[in-house]
Amino acid sequence: MSGTDAFSPKIVAYVCNWCTYLGADLAGTARLEYPPNVRIIRLPCTGRIDTNMVVKAFEVGADAVLVSGCHPGDCHYTAGNYHARRRWMLFRDLLDVVGFDMRRIHFSWISAAEGRKFQQVITEITEQTQALGPYRPYEAVPSRPLADARGSVQSRDRQGAVASSPAQTKLRETAARLLSEGAVKVVIGYGARGPVFVTHSEDAARLVWNETCFANLTGYLKRKEVGALGKPAVVVKGCDERALVVLEKESQVGRAAVYTIGMACAGMGQPKCAACDTHEPRFANETIASDGAPEAAPVDRYAALDALFAKSPEERLAFWTAEFDRCLKCYACRQVCPMCYCERCLADKNRPQAIDTSPHRQGNFAWHLSRAIHLAGRCVGCDECTRACPAGLDLRLLNLALARAAETKFGYRAGMDPAVEPLVGAYSLTDKEEFIQ
Amino acid sequence: MTTLTAEGLRKLVGEWMAAGKVCVGPVRVAAGTVLFTRLASAEDLMLDGWLRPANSIKELVLPRHEPLYGYRADRNRIELLDPPEAVPERIAICAHPCDAAALPILDKVFNWDYRDEAYNRRREATTVITLACTASDAECFCTSVGLGPDAERGSDAMLNDNGDGTFAVRTLTDKGRAALGASEARGSRTNPPPARFDAKQVGQYAAEHFDDPFWREHSLACVGCGACAFTCPVCHCFDIVDERNGHDGMRARNWDACQFPLFTLHASGHNPRHTQGDRQRQRIYHKFHMYPEKFGETLCTGCGNCARNCPVGLGVLPLVTEIPHAEPVQA
Repeated sequence: MSGTDAFSPKIVAYVCNWCTYLGADLAGTARLEYPPNVRIIRLPCTGRIDTNMVVKAFEVGADAVLVSGCHPGDCHYTAGNYHARRRWMLFRDLLDVVGFDMRRIHFSWISAAEGRKFQQVITEITEQTQALGPYRPYEAVPSRPLADARGSVQSRDRQGAVASSPAQTKLRETAARLLSEGAVKVVIGYGARGPVFVTHSEDAARLVWNETCFANLTGYLKRKEVGALGKPAVVVKGCDERALVVLEKESQVGRAAVYTIGMACAGMGQPKCAACDTHEPRFANETIASDGAPEAAPVDRYAALDALFAKSPEERLAFWTAEFDRCLKCYACRQVCPMCYCERCLADKNRPQAIDTSPHRQGNFAWHLSRAIHLAGRCVGCDECTRACPAGLDLRLLNLALARAAETKFGYRAGMDPAVEPLVGAYSLTDKEEFIQ
Repeated sequence: MTTLTAEGLRKLVGEWMAAGKVCVGPVRVAAGTVLFTRLASAEDLMLDGWLRPANSIKELVLPRHEPLYGYRADRNRIELLDPPEAVPERIAICAHPCDAAALPILDKVFNWDYRDEAYNRRREATTVITLACTASDAECFCTSVGLGPDAERGSDAMLNDNGDGTFAVRTLTDKGRAALGASEARGSRTNPPPARFDAKQVGQYAAEHFDDPFWREHSLACVGCGACAFTCPVCHCFDIVDERNGHDGMRARNWDACQFPLFTLHASGHNPRHTQGDRQRQRIYHKFHMYPEKFGETLCTGCGNCARNCPVGLGVLPLVTEIPHAEPVQA
């Protein structure tokens, strides 16, 4: 097999300055031989190693990536490696749902005293990667839609019946009262076509409450033009309210500065509604009762994922390639997301350019992986991204994969319990690390 | 041929594909989404069951991403790499008149002070076979911008659905005749949307009310994505980017959109269009005032894609019908 013999893998190792880098140094001074295939990139701490850098390494030709830092308890910044460990646990699940070859990405703890371990790890990774052969760039992946696990149908119908209902009447009365009392300056609610911003009590009749009110309006609380109108009231369903919980936890919205009009909701017929267990808003200033009873009992929240995971990683990668090939980079997914409130998104920064702005495969993979991981433990599953996508990308599956990782590994669901610390940003000494060498 | 059956059309598409032509038509790409997409087989072509694909055929002449040239750095040497010169012959099948009409409108801006080679190369290689519309929805407004469900502008051939599984064929240009042979048949089944506004009034209002609070008040819901511009048949703004990966890199042209705050952000940090209202005004102003003033026609074909794709219910039609005195002139 001369072809395999000729292949000399490129391995990128992101290592922390204090432990693994010194471990590599020790291996050198101790004259311990290891394959010359590794390119070491020294960073202050594993806590600094952005998942984008892992993605980038493969983009520029790495065949495998190692991320390595101090043993738990040894971090020179106290807890950088604990934070990193938690992020890796989520990131690995994201890579897995996309069908990434998990045998090419490695994590280890190597201390400054473990020159021999560094030698071993590098040797093992090199041999394993050699056996795997070269990394296949996105351009070489065949794109193939999944015939049977395709697409969540998001309703786009805005011409829904604007029938009068007791809940709608109550909503309009509430809005008119709040505005005329001066308790709020604007009511952010649903109109016949989309979001409306009612500033005068006599305009409260523009508000509707019907089966087309599936959008999540909480994102508007972070928009400057809306903020300029004065104290807002916002109409939220039980599911939308979870976004408010996260926004408050992240110090983005003060609940005292917002009046929340809760709408008990029996379901809007969207994919997210099938597994809803937050029909009733829990923290609203006032809640208007639903006209109907909730639909059938909650089903498995992650059923859509199971269909995808029934496929092989190669099939999953081919599926996502077909999905991302349609991406126009219009950023509708980001712009409608209540959690994407950064003043300047990483994708819009060009010094350095972390994510290719081009809507080609590489740029689209980098963008969607980045978008998803930035929402890990924060996404409340409102599916606005999927609803907004003009090209019909089934982005909710990425979010669901991370939501399942958060729930099964950490017992965490974003926006459910205001008392719990945010998933990313906190850590536990008992986080599972069987994947770390 | 004066009429074509659905099977006959598919057979032709199969033959074109076998001859190495790239065929693009409406394809159901996901459960709820139909897009103009390169056909993998003639069977993928959807002849009915859709009103309008969520994108447009603009991508045939102005791809969302187009490498202009590449480079490779090797030690002290830099080698420039030209993009492939040849563009395969492409046929758009079942474009609507609102897609086809976009091409002659775009021709003007890409051949005005500078002849855009990349655009023209693609334009020349493209044949458009249009399917006249037999239905319209509440977002359609071609008749308000001087077009209609069987407007011939920009089409190389026109198919009219006879409603019995056959299509009347009318070929309009040499390209159309080369694809389908000479034919003069006309169908009659069309269903034009009513006139919904007066485009002249809209342009005039935009020019005279540049700083009017109207724009801000009616753009509060806008989230600032590019869904409207990227699915529009005539929005053509682009950005030039340099992308480097290791030792290789390229200069590429990518779509850009006036609704992004970054579109007008200066290096100084100043942004002349600093609110979403300014950006929505720009979109209407460009389409209904600037382009007509410069090129003599409206930069809008009334397809309604902006409104259908807007996640928050905005778009050209919802916005301009709020403009005072923009009601259509009654004949």
